[in-house]
Order: sequence, then structure tokens, then C-alpha cells
Amino acid sequence: MIRRRTDLPLSRDPSVRLLPWIIGLMTYLACLMLAGSLLLSELLGQWTSGLSGTVTVQVLPREREPARQLDQRVDKLVRILQRTDGIAGARAVPLDEVAALLEPWLGGTTALEALPLPRLIDVRLDMTDAPPMEALKTMLSNADPGALLDDHGIWQDQLAGLVGALELVAGFVVLLVGLATVGIVIFATRSGMAAHQDVIEVLHLIGAEDGYIARQFQGLALSQGLRGGIIGIAMGAATIWGLGYAADHIDSAILPQVRLLAWHWVVLASLPAVTALIARSTARRTVMRSLTRMV
Amino acid sequence: MRYGTGPEVLREVTFTLKPGSFHFLTGRSGAGKSSLLKLMYLAHRPSRGLVTLFDEDIATLPRRRLPFLRRRVGVVFQEFRLLNHLSAFDNVALPLRVAGVKESTIRKHVDELLAWTGLGDHMDARPPTLSGGQQQRVAIARSLISRPDLLLADEPTGNVDDALGVRLLYLFEELNRMGTTVVIATHSETLVSRFKNPILHLEDGVLIHQDRGEPAGGTGDPRDPRKPFGRGGTQ
Repeated sequence: MIRRRTDLPLSRDPSVRLLPWIIGLMTYLACLMLAGSLLLSELLGQWTSGLSGTVTVQVLPREREPARQLDQRVDKLVRILQRTDGIAGARAVPLDEVAALLEPWLGGTTALEALPLPRLIDVRLDMTDAPPMEALKTMLSNADPGALLDDHGIWQDQLAGLVGALELVAGFVVLLVGLATVGIVIFATRSGMAAHQDVIEVLHLIGAEDGYIARQFQGLALSQGLRGGIIGIAMGAATIWGLGYAADHIDSAILPQVRLLAWHWVVLASLPAVTALIARSTARRTVMRSLTRMV
Repeated sequence: MRYGTGPEVLREVTFTLKPGSFHFLTGRSGAGKSSLLKLMYLAHRPSRGLVTLFDEDIATLPRRRLPFLRRRVGVVFQEFRLLNHLSAFDNVALPLRVAGVKESTIRKHVDELLAWTGLGDHMDARPPTLSGGQQQRVAIARSLISRPDLLLADEPTGNVDDALGVRLLYLFEELNRMGTTVVIATHSETLVSRFKNPILHLEDGVLIHQDRGEPAGGTGDPRDPRKPFGRGGTQ
């Protein structure tokens, strides 16, 4: 490995030896926050793309209504919907599908048989010519007063709000981690300057410009930042993989199947470079500002 | 000149150095020799008065231009101030490296100079492994490598025996003959008495004596207004 020649023995300083590990920890936290934010964003995208273009009609059973009569009401509504402009398709959701959806909360199908479950109609809208929701609601309630239209709008809005708030928190944490990294680099750089004050003075007196001295610090900060960034991203990737592995082995229908995409990994993989550049620029600014106080 | 809010360590100091001159700067310990040299090698700026170096007023010179002026001044510090983690070669090469000289040129010049100072076999040695005299020669080589217009030496014979001290002064005299202006600060009257160069004598921060026989490199007339390079009116 080729070592860059430096006039200041900075790499032997205790604070510099610790720097990659502290930066690594910061990068690890930033990586997890960023990954979490990207996953949430992806999850929201999946949910909304799955739900937009579909509405659900609930047909509430009347008191002591025989199942066959309820089926007839559902069939009638399906036929009306299939004839309506702007509707791409409508299908009655079979009872066993409804039961499967409710199973995680209410238990097995035998328990469900005794309950007066509403019947569901899955409606796909033609998004190029979708009918107004209010008009659709009126039409359905005219056809059957027990039919309720759910366009998922409120749920989607609440979900988007929650995900947005979580992304904001993640962004704030990433910002704090970035500021902490800047603080650590400033501290390490100032310690280095104090420890090598005499060498810096000699360099100055033999004609070194501030930039020459700053390059010594910024070169080291760049390499330590990169090293720390790689440590952090490696730990982060291992954690994300571990969580994904654990999630894969949990048998639950309520957990969403979501994975980081290729471009998400590219964003995460850029963290070491970003960390290194932040460290380099911080070290340079710190040195240049401190040197202006010298003659 | 004063340090912080302390008393003035230099006052009523007025002189000009002619290019190619050779002066001794004498005075007791604490007389202000090192302070005067610090002004000359731009480690300090004057708190009042006028100091002109290479036609530049150093009190008002922008900070960013100081390095270029410093590169024209070679300094042998009292305690050498070599960088202990670097080899003799790298210590000597430092002024060229900070000036951005190519490595191939640096290699050639440093090899030559170290061989000339008798340290050709110690290029890779670090200062702590060298004797006092060898360290002194490394420090001198570092001050000369960029062929300075002005060479300042603060007690260069302070850490060596008299015989080596005299040899070093002959070395400085030889450099002076090649055109370098030299100022040697020393409190050793024995050494100074062996040479006939003009003396700048400091007494409690006041320059009170500048006169002496035939100089080696120039007249050293402190008030010659035609001098293109020098300093005057440090107070």
C-alpha cells in the first residue's frame, strides 16, 4: 500500500486513530435511518399504487337476512357496476377470502361463520375515465341503501402523513449524525493542530502557505472519513440483511413484503464517500480558520 | 516591538542591511537579539515603527503574501527546530516542497547540499539519532536549500564547541561571498572577535552600536538610502 508522505505525523495521534471508528458509528446510524426512510417510502408507494385505481363496496347484511338474499343483492350491485362507465371491472370477493383477511384478528373460519360479515365488492376503476366518487356513492346507495363505498382516501392520507412524519424524523436524525461527525472532525483537527503547533510554526516560517498545511489535515481526514464510512456501511448492510432475514422467517400476513431496491443500495453505498467529503471539507475549514490567527 | 501587553523589547532600532553584507548581531541574553531576528524572519509583526523587507512594509503586508517573502529568508533557529519524525533528507527538502518544487529537482539539490555539508551518509537518519553538530548542519542545509537572499542564524554556535563554531562561521562567510546577506546573532564575543564584520549591538532592546573594521561582504552602512534591500526603523 502506498503511503502519502506528510510533514506532520498526524496519523500517530490518538484522536486520529479513534476517528474512523467514531465516524463508522455515525455512518452506521445514518445508514440505518436512511434505509428505514427509503423502506417506508417504498412501502407507501406500494400501498398507494395498489390502492389507487381501486375502490371497495361493502354490502351490509340486514338483520337476520338469509345468505342467499345477500348474495342476490351483491350480484345485482356487481352487474350495475359492470355496466357503469369508467368502471374497468367489479367482482364479489368470495366469503373465504374475506375470512382469510380477518383470520389474523378474529381466528379460524368456524368462528367467522357465526358472524354477520359484510360482503365486499372489489371495483377496478378505469383511470383514464374514472367516475366521480360522489356520483358513484349516490348511484350505489340508490340501488341498495346498505351499500357503502370506500375509496381508501382517508386511510391513504393518514398513512402518507405518518410515513411523511417518520421520514422527517429520520432526516432529522441523519442531520444530527452529520453535525456530530462535523463536530468530531473539528475536535480531532484542533487536537492535531495543538499537538503539532511547533511543526506548523516551522512550516509557516519556511514559507508554507495555509493551504499547504491544511492539505496535510484534509488528506488525513479524507482517508479516515472514508475508512470510517466503509466500516459504518458494512455494519449497516449486515444489520439490514439480518433484519430482512428475520422478517422473512416471521409467518405473518400483516407484515408487508418490502425490500430495498438496487438504487436504494446505491444511495447507501454513497455514504462513505459523502462522509469522507464532509470530513475533508470540515478539516480544511477548521485549519484555515485557525491559521488566520497566526502571523 | 512588544509581546502582547508586555513591555517593549525593542525600541529605537534603526538600521539597513546592504545586499550581500555580513553582520553580527550581538548583545547579552535578553537584549532582544531573538526578537529582532523574529521580526526579520516574519515570525512577528512590529507593534509600531516601520520594518521593510525586500521593499515590502511587513506591518501592512497582507497575510497571504508573507509565505513568498519567507521563502527568500533562510533561518537557522537557535534550537534547530528540525522535524524529528522526518529524515535529514526530508528536513532539508522541506522549504522546496512547500514551494512546490518538483521531486526530481528536490532530490538533486538536497543530495548535493547534504554531501557538501558532510551529511551524505546520514540522509535517512532522523534528527534524534544525529549529534548536535550534525543536527546543526542539517538545520543550516535546510536554511540554504532554497538559496535565500537573506540568511538569519540565531546563536548557531550555541550548541557546539568553539572549534566547530568557528568552522560554521567560515561556512557562513563562504555563503556570504556567494551573495547571500547574512546576519548572525551571537553572544559569544570570542567568536565575533575572530572576524572583522560589522556588528549590530543590542543593549536592553536598543541598538547602540553598529561599527567595526572592514566587513567581509559589504560596508554595512546602516543609513545608506540607496540600498534596494533592507530594513529600517524598527522600534
